[in-house]
Amino acid sequence: MIRCDRGFLRLVFFAVWSAAFVSTYVYGQSNTNIPDFSGAWGPYRGGRGADPKLAPPPATPLAMKPEYAKAYEARRAAEAAANSRGEPLATASSACVPYGMPSMMSVAVYPIEIIQAPKQVTIIAEAFSEVRRIYIGKPQQKIDDVPPGYYGRSVGRWEGDTFIIDTVGIKESVQYQRLPHSDQMHISERMRLVAPDVLHDQITIEDPVVLEKPYTYTLAYRRMPDYEMVEFVCDNNREYVDDQGVVRLKVREK
Amino acid sequence: MTVRATTILSRTILAAAMLIAAGTASAHHSFAMFDQTKQITLIGTVSAFEWTNPHAYIEMDVPDEKGILKHWSVEMGSPSILMQSGWKFKDLKHGDKVTVRISPLKDGKPGGLLVQATLPDGRVLGNGPGRGPAQPSAGAPNQ
Repeated sequence: MIRCDRGFLRLVFFAVWSAAFVSTYVYGQSNTNIPDFSGAWGPYRGGRGADPKLAPPPATPLAMKPEYAKAYEARRAAEAAANSRGEPLATASSACVPYGMPSMMSVAVYPIEIIQAPKQVTIIAEAFSEVRRIYIGKPQQKIDDVPPGYYGRSVGRWEGDTFIIDTVGIKESVQYQRLPHSDQMHISERMRLVAPDVLHDQITIEDPVVLEKPYTYTLAYRRMPDYEMVEFVCDNNREYVDDQGVVRLKVREK
Repeated sequence: MTVRATTILSRTILAAAMLIAAGTASAHHSFAMFDQTKQITLIGTVSAFEWTNPHAYIEMDVPDEKGILKHWSVEMGSPSILMQSGWKFKDLKHGDKVTVRISPLKDGKPGGLLVQATLPDGRVLGNGPGRGPAQPSAGAPNQ
């Protein structure tokens, strides 16, 4: 009788251990209550009918090192002056170059699509068809080993109901809201559902060269269950940059 | 008179446009090249309706007071944005008569940003974004 119980307990123990092993190492997930982020998400806006509790918290103050702050403010002032003259300055998107990280997570009112799999979460931004791949169960590489690009290298892990993403390797020309950064920039994100159909992505930018302290902002998305993502290939860009660096619109003669 | 210029001081329209351009989100371009304190109405004939990215365009020929045709390029949102405000890719075609209200280019060239279009079947469509302005400034630095 005692033997039988021990055998049964061993069996139960082995079953639980195997499930945990398979879950953690085969599927890269340490719990089985992972929320489902799959599908299209549009920006969640406040205003009438919106639940204020679901609105994103305000961003932290932006604390840049003085030498970078000075150049940043000068650039923003020049941009504001140019806009008031009706002569906007060129940006990467004037040439239809994609936004990269982290800007691609919030381009105007365009949705993103999340494809959730055990070993990889893929996020596709509708604007410019940008794609980022977040590997689960793989270690992050050293920043210096990642070739700088638009999306860098992202790894993720589930911590309870929160998907935590770590991204390095964003090239210096790829800027969020013209915020300068060094090759040491590190982006961390915490994605979680704050309601069944409202997703928050808390984004923290750390950069020991440019920032005095990390800068954190949160994006809120609403689930769009029936939405079919629209293709976006930038094949009719009429903007051009004149010899003064001003963006102009080509108009046709006929 | 087929080209009618009206200056409107519509703070609502201006404020909405600025939110899109300067909110948390990045926009494709600044709308500063268009004079959004002005609107002009064009009545003319469509030569092409380009359902393209990053923007769709209505190309149209518009007779002036003397009946001389002048060509205008009217910028719209992207197909994704336009679909959210009711547009379809076949809503206009070569030869259609159309009335559009636009904010003209500040540099004086014959082009502008669509505010509203009246289609041959009588439907009146805007220029999106349809899903409302971008979120408030939660993500914008210095806000």
